[in-house]
Amino acid sequence: MALAEHAAGMKLRQFLPRLSVGIWSLSGFTFLWVIGIVVPLLGILLFSFLQTKGIKVQWDLTIKAYEKLFFYGGGPLIGRTIRIAATMTVIELLLAFPFALWLAKGAKNQNLKLITFTLLTVPFFLSPVARVIVWRSVMSVHGLVNTALLDIGLVSEPVEWLIFSEFAVHLGYLGQYFPAMVWPIFLSVALIDDEYLEASKDLGASRLRTLVHVIFPLALPGIVAGIIFTFVPMLGDTVVPQQMGGGNVMMISHNVYTMIGASNFVMAAALSAIILAIMLAFQVLLWAALRPVGGLNNVFASLRR
Amino acid sequence: MTALAEPPKLDDAAPRKLPLAQKISERWPAWGSIFIGYFVLLIIYFPILWLMILSISSEPLTGFAGDWTLRWYDDMLYGTGQREGEAYAVNSRVFDPLFLSLKLAFITAALCMVASLLIGPILPRVRFRGPLLLGYLMPLMVPGIVASVSLFLFYRLGLHWKMGEWSLGLAHFVWAFPFALLAMLVVASRFDARLLEAAADLGASPWRRFWQIQVPILKPGIFAAGFFGFLLSFNELPFSIFMRAGDITLPIYLWIQSGAHNSSVPLIFALSTLITIASIILTFIAIKVAFGERTVRATDVKKT
Repeated sequence: MALAEHAAGMKLRQFLPRLSVGIWSLSGFTFLWVIGIVVPLLGILLFSFLQTKGIKVQWDLTIKAYEKLFFYGGGPLIGRTIRIAATMTVIELLLAFPFALWLAKGAKNQNLKLITFTLLTVPFFLSPVARVIVWRSVMSVHGLVNTALLDIGLVSEPVEWLIFSEFAVHLGYLGQYFPAMVWPIFLSVALIDDEYLEASKDLGASRLRTLVHVIFPLALPGIVAGIIFTFVPMLGDTVVPQQMGGGNVMMISHNVYTMIGASNFVMAAALSAIILAIMLAFQVLLWAALRPVGGLNNVFASLRR
Repeated sequence: MTALAEPPKLDDAAPRKLPLAQKISERWPAWGSIFIGYFVLLIIYFPILWLMILSISSEPLTGFAGDWTLRWYDDMLYGTGQREGEAYAVNSRVFDPLFLSLKLAFITAALCMVASLLIGPILPRVRFRGPLLLGYLMPLMVPGIVASVSLFLFYRLGLHWKMGEWSLGLAHFVWAFPFALLAMLVVASRFDARLLEAAADLGASPWRRFWQIQVPILKPGIFAAGFFGFLLSFNELPFSIFMRAGDITLPIYLWIQSGAHNSSVPLIFALSTLITIASIILTFIAIKVAFGERTVRATDVKKT
């Protein structure tokens, strides 16, 4: 019996190479994913150069959408969005890098590490609205912070820029995107072999020198990935500008929303295409940063730790 | 030259055994970075905790806690509350979005479990795994609103398909799958492929290898994929905004309600609190299931 089964297995394997089922499902799924997701995503670049009538697409290439976009004040809008997102990305990077470094190489208490990992993971799975909505009542003119400031006597009248202002949008972004910056940097720093740091020290390098010449280059892929996971999503964030900006801080997402509502599909596509182009530019950067440390395939090694 | 002068010094530096990293941690820059990190974590968690506290306060919109009451929960469930002449009969308006969100979340979870089980174990072993992973993770890097607009334009204007629950499901899957795949990859990358080879040598059919070896070992990853898919779909907002035809999911309901400049709906606090608590519990379970046990014991294999 067992022998017959074995023979059948051998026979089957002669026709189908090992893993074939897996390869089939992988390529089938990848095909669907590319057709259904990647093509539409990249297709928006093409779409932004077309015109529509109702929901009919006219297949003539034109840059009218971009002309209109900039004519109707798209320039300052995009500028403001990029400025806010870039400021916050730099701040996140400055805050997250030392923390990730400590988490990956410094922290020795396993329980503390586990708790911190959990704290850094949980926010991804919470509703973004629920995460910022409280700021509105805490920071409002008659809210907690203003009352406290008045009571201490730091200010004589309520501070109005605490909410529905650019400050508020920055504050909202800070908490919303911190874990997305910490994780990639943590993974890339954790991959650095301790022996490199030892060697650097033995050769007489100061700690600063080790940081700049050993840790930083090896952590570069993580840093670039962190920027991709924070800067690009910030450009299109829906929740924070709406909840914290309250209509005083217009950013791209709000305009995309209004344009789709007004059936101005091509201009919405043009705005989205600009964000997508920025994302693709960073992808090239990431690819370049990963090359010295073994390319993209090396990402899988980091998962094993 | 300094490097050459160093070696004699090394001998008398006997407690040098400590890794450099630990030494770094003993100095002040470490304390600075620890403080900064946990300070930002405080900024992340303060609004969440305060939300819960405010939801049982009588005047949540002022941001002050106190005067404890459960009336907002009462209003939410039974819709009997009356405040400044305004009726808060929200219950029916809440429950429809809730059921739609639950339905979508279960479908997304199932899709994520199947898809990540099909892809996760194979991906680390194929040649173009890097570019493929990048392609799968693309929705993580593109802002939700951009991806949502792209998909909407492609399916609605390109293919002339009507939006509906199918498109909401698709959008949620696109958003949740990268996370599910990552969770599965963490488990799958520790999977010993030799187990499959051994089973094949012993004559197990591919089907049997799949069900009796891969599935049991990857179970934590499958569960984590399901939990993450459920949670991400349940709380998903940006994708849902465009990929729907009048359907209102729970996050969209909350978004619309809280969108007004001076939102007068303290019920949102109660509802958000319930959702947040449920999400935190589910996330804890998912993390524990997926990452709690890092090694696969041989006995797990024998049992099957």
